[in-house]
Amino acid sequence: MTLPILPTTVVGSYSMPGWLERLKTEYYARRISRRDLDEIHDTAVKAAIKDQEVAGLDIITDGELRRDNMIDYFAERLPGVQIDHASKKFHYDFYDSKVLGKLPMAPLGLVDDYKFLRVNTERETKFCVTGPHSLSKRIRNEHYPTEEEFAMDLARVMNPELKAIANAGAHFIQIDEPNYSGFPEDLAWGVKALNALVEGVDAKIGVHICYGNRYGKPSWEGSYRYLLPGILDAKVHQLTLEFARRGGEDLEVFRELPARFELGVGVIDVKTQAIETPDQVAERIRKALGVIPADRLFVLPDCGCLHLPRDVAFAKLSAMVEGTRLVRKEL
Amino acid sequence: MILQLNHLQRKPAANTTQEVVDVLYSLLEEGRIEQEQFARLHVQLDWIQYRQNFRECVMAIMATSDRPEQFPPLDVHVDTRQVTPGCLREAILRTLPNTGDSPHSDPEGVLLEDFRSFRESIAWGFNRLYWHRLADWEQFTGRGYEQALPGGKSDANHPSAVADCVADFWTLLRDLENRKQLPEELFVMEIGVGMGTRSGLWLERFRSLDRERGTNYYPRLKFLLGDYSLATLERSRPAVKEHLDLCSFVVLDALNPLKNLAFLRHKILHIHLTNVYDNLPDEEFERRDGRFYAVQVRAHIPAADAQRISKELEIPAQQIPQTVNRLLEGGPDYLSDRRRGVAFWQEVWKAMRLEERLVSLDDLPDVAIPGDFRASQLEEVLGEAPSDVRFHLSSGALESFHNTLPLLHPRGFLQVQDIFVTNFNEYRLGFHGPGKLDGSIVNWVNGVLLREVGERAGYDVHFAPFHYRKGSKTSILYTTQRE
Repeated sequence: MTLPILPTTVVGSYSMPGWLERLKTEYYARRISRRDLDEIHDTAVKAAIKDQEVAGLDIITDGELRRDNMIDYFAERLPGVQIDHASKKFHYDFYDSKVLGKLPMAPLGLVDDYKFLRVNTERETKFCVTGPHSLSKRIRNEHYPTEEEFAMDLARVMNPELKAIANAGAHFIQIDEPNYSGFPEDLAWGVKALNALVEGVDAKIGVHICYGNRYGKPSWEGSYRYLLPGILDAKVHQLTLEFARRGGEDLEVFRELPARFELGVGVIDVKTQAIETPDQVAERIRKALGVIPADRLFVLPDCGCLHLPRDVAFAKLSAMVEGTRLVRKEL
Repeated sequence: MILQLNHLQRKPAANTTQEVVDVLYSLLEEGRIEQEQFARLHVQLDWIQYRQNFRECVMAIMATSDRPEQFPPLDVHVDTRQVTPGCLREAILRTLPNTGDSPHSDPEGVLLEDFRSFRESIAWGFNRLYWHRLADWEQFTGRGYEQALPGGKSDANHPSAVADCVADFWTLLRDLENRKQLPEELFVMEIGVGMGTRSGLWLERFRSLDRERGTNYYPRLKFLLGDYSLATLERSRPAVKEHLDLCSFVVLDALNPLKNLAFLRHKILHIHLTNVYDNLPDEEFERRDGRFYAVQVRAHIPAADAQRISKELEIPAQQIPQTVNRLLEGGPDYLSDRRRGVAFWQEVWKAMRLEERLVSLDDLPDVAIPGDFRASQLEEVLGEAPSDVRFHLSSGALESFHNTLPLLHPRGFLQVQDIFVTNFNEYRLGFHGPGKLDGSIVNWVNGVLLREVGERAGYDVHFAPFHYRKGSKTSILYTTQRE
């Protein structure tokens, strides 16, 4: 992976266009076909990739525009998860999904998503997957004795898929675990499940932990203090956290972060449409540099840009790139 | 012709129906209504109004003519409570020419504005003046505004309702504490504080519950009293005098509390409003024969009232519009003698009527809807509504709601006591405003649209009848976090 110092990227999702939301809902109303929707998704993903490139990001994702939300896209692919297809009215709603028996092994079909991303950009890429803790908190468990056992089995089923993605060329895979912040008491087994998920996956692994971004608002509040020391057991290379909205206070928590970890620092508040200036971004990066050296620092928004209008998301990312350039010149 | 009979004032409506039909047939035969127009005519009985309102007892509302080859739709609404026997023909005839693009049919009357959305109407200028100069109004009427409410007092201050709200809040704090997520500062906000009575009751109740349960949350409270009138905030202080150390008085625009309080984004644990949404600028739309129309209004003073006001207050009738504008800019002192100024204000307000017309919308997406609410969503919502329906957009309430939700802590909740339409079918069952409540405007709020905006913002919105007072038309909107 050849990257400049202070690499810039998104957390995962890019702005979901209103027209795409509407078309997804049309699909659920059986007014457009699956084939049409797939084509629409392809087009939307290409546009999202292009926007990220034009904004100047170093690492590109597919914008997660094929996904209704961070749970259902995986729940639908996980064999053994039963879904009540009548349970959602709007695409972003969660399905009522549940497991009634042990999850069987089967491919999830995520490799094709990665390949699509790979062929549509020359830049470095990142592929994002919701982690087993977050999935276990939303998919109703009616089989496993504990949530932990359910999460561990999710990890078992998903691990081969991650290996396949890495084998297809992915250098960088990010696991999204926002629910850690809502359930700090689960951290120990959440990390255990995370480790099982990434076991033997030959790629840089990041884990994104925020305070939620459902409907563009936080789901919890608190302090990242809960992450330490438990998160240090995670077999990952990078922690990606939100700092822009929450201020820099939490940054101090990571001053002693062991050198084996990189820190992805959120410098863009995705829960407001106010567009940061490059100077604001630069100041946030400088503050982070007081805690973590430049060669271990990645620059990102706090979380996905899903809920931002496209023009706002683009402007924020452009400001992020410009602010990063300002700091790079100082290094 | 479609005749819609509402089951509101059964006997008067039944007695009037035949007369209305006879009058309309005779107008058809006399050529005053065209055959094609008659075929598309909608007549609504009973279009009952607030006792004090802006409308005549019979209103004919025609659309502006956007398709010259067609007669525009015509609606006739009859408030049977106000109809006197034998007056219908005259009333319908009087309003029929007063529609569409035609000039004002009451040439002796005084126009106060051109046709526009209700939201932009001068009526809201009077509403603003009322809240800013409430003391002047009350002094000259001799009664407080709460006395003007149905039942003579506000549902906001019902002790059991306040106690339940406090209990919910305490439970939330306890839950957060159990999860080790209780913030150091516990922000609570009341928007639209009135005399501060509810805030005082709430704080008192919370303090006793906190003491009783030994949780020591009370000292951590930061209670914000928000209102757009400094005068109102001043009047609310005595009601919370026992708790002043915890209280902050914030002048804010109910349409956008976030503007002043952005620093509290995601921090307020509980926000409460009573009868604020029903007093925020609004506009109405109509879906008729598959097309959408905006309802535009034009404020005027009927001729007889204009002459009376002119005579009593010695202001030439033609100078009434100019005097009204000065009154709204500078308050009642403008008329040199405050007593005379208030008298003019009250008389004009009492006499003010709104003519209405329908303006065809080429396309629903042209409608600007607050709250990131897209026209396509409105279309979806209307998919479950009656095919022909006139409804509030409640744009002020939507705007306020949309700009208040981001202040809520992720686990916080919003409660709104107000008069809500919670189902589009209710528009067929009864009248929902606007009316005059003393010197202010009262208007039902479209809860269906609020529910949609809430869902898209991450909150499920529920409505519960206000069961604390029998016969109350108030409902309580409350939010829960949407997963």
